[in-house]
Amino acid sequence: MTLKLCVTPEAPVAAAESIALQQRGSSSGIRFGILDNSKSNADHLLQFLLDTARDALPVEHVIARRKPAASRPAEAGVIDDLAREADFVLSAMAD
Amino acid sequence: MNGIDKLLANPGVGFEANDDSEAAFDYCMERGWSDGLPVVLPTAERVERMLQYCDRPYDEPIVMIPPRYGAATPLRLAANAVMAGCKPEYFPLVMLAVEAMAEEPFNLYGIQATTHPCAPLIIVNGPVAQELGMNSGHSALGAGNRANATIGRAVRLALVNIGGAIPGIGDMSTYGDPTKFSYCAPENEAGNPWNPLHVEKGFPAHASTVTVVAAEPPHNVNDHESHTAVGILTTIAGTIAITGANNTYYASEPVVLLCPEHAATIAGDGFSKQAVKEFLFEHGRVPLGKFSKENIARRFRSKLADKYANASLDTMVSMVQRAEDFLVVVMGGAGKHSAYIPTFGNTHAVTRPLRHADGQLVKSIAEMRRS
Repeated sequence: MTLKLCVTPEAPVAAAESIALQQRGSSSGIRFGILDNSKSNADHLLQFLLDTARDALPVEHVIARRKPAASRPAEAGVIDDLAREADFVLSAMAD
Repeated sequence: MNGIDKLLANPGVGFEANDDSEAAFDYCMERGWSDGLPVVLPTAERVERMLQYCDRPYDEPIVMIPPRYGAATPLRLAANAVMAGCKPEYFPLVMLAVEAMAEEPFNLYGIQATTHPCAPLIIVNGPVAQELGMNSGHSALGAGNRANATIGRAVRLALVNIGGAIPGIGDMSTYGDPTKFSYCAPENEAGNPWNPLHVEKGFPAHASTVTVVAAEPPHNVNDHESHTAVGILTTIAGTIAITGANNTYYASEPVVLLCPEHAATIAGDGFSKQAVKEFLFEHGRVPLGKFSKENIARRFRSKLADKYANASLDTMVSMVQRAEDFLVVVMGGAGKHSAYIPTFGNTHAVTRPLRHADGQLVKSIAEMRRS
């Protein structure tokens, strides 16, 4: 068997890892972010999950944002707000 | 080697594998690097040959591909082109298509991640299509032509391997569609009685371009009986008028694909391309009452309230926002079958010309080869 030197076709995910590390442990309570993709029932699903989280976790603060359309990515300002004010973000698609 | 040896020494760039065809396929499948079909192992020698048609730094990203936002370097794109079976001279069109898809109006993030079954349709115009032996005639969107098949496949592999459009993870398409393997063909410019697509978009006829469209698979329009423009366009308008397309709700540019025979009949009756679009805009409509009660209440009366809040049920709903939104393309061989290709919503087609690094339009792929 002869091994050949090859070029990987895959790209790594570098940016997401660094953001996660920066945010960890940055608050005494949990700063909870919500990104609603605007599909029907996404708001109900996210509210249910938030209520459940509040029962089980020390939620200190909630920041909620809604995309104007499900088929477009969230605007940079929305992402910046969530990155700055939340320890993690829960997003949902729903129908 | 123009730096490829150095690049391969960096962590994560190179790997060693058995070049036996079955072993190579197994190796790539195990890592999620295939579309499910056999691939060519991207050896350093093969990738370097692909890069003979690249005049950019091999390790500098030309775009970032969502949803992973992986860096699409020429080196990685060339590896995907090798895996897809591209000849090196196809590579400039692979890079061009990826660049076009990354432009904001195309909305690649949405297209990659959506539950909708769209895939990038790559329409090639200009002299390079013929130079590369691409097929714009019989079965142009089908199987059998290496350039059509592998350019489209290379783009798909790059979307998966660099962009992370992994089914069920980054690509949430509910059922997918066969065009996610490959979806690329040139316009049949010889069979087009009007200006070809790239000239309509403002480029000179001698330019070579790709136009990317976030498209569904084609829906056939069979009309063997009509022998007038109005007759053929009435049949097409009837095919356009459907209740389940994204185009009804969101700004987008669906494709009207005319076979040369239909196009000749329509143009022979004095219809310009713009007149075709206006006819289809006026006649390709659905009465509001044909939509489900739930869609009328939750979509038209609510999300589209500015137009339909108090509209009567016999209000005719147009399938696009403006007549100009229809992309009219001539493709295929003999026969009286045209097609309608709906698209994703919130997307616009993007046309990009093939240029040298100095900005000059490319006249021939051969002149792109480095000595």
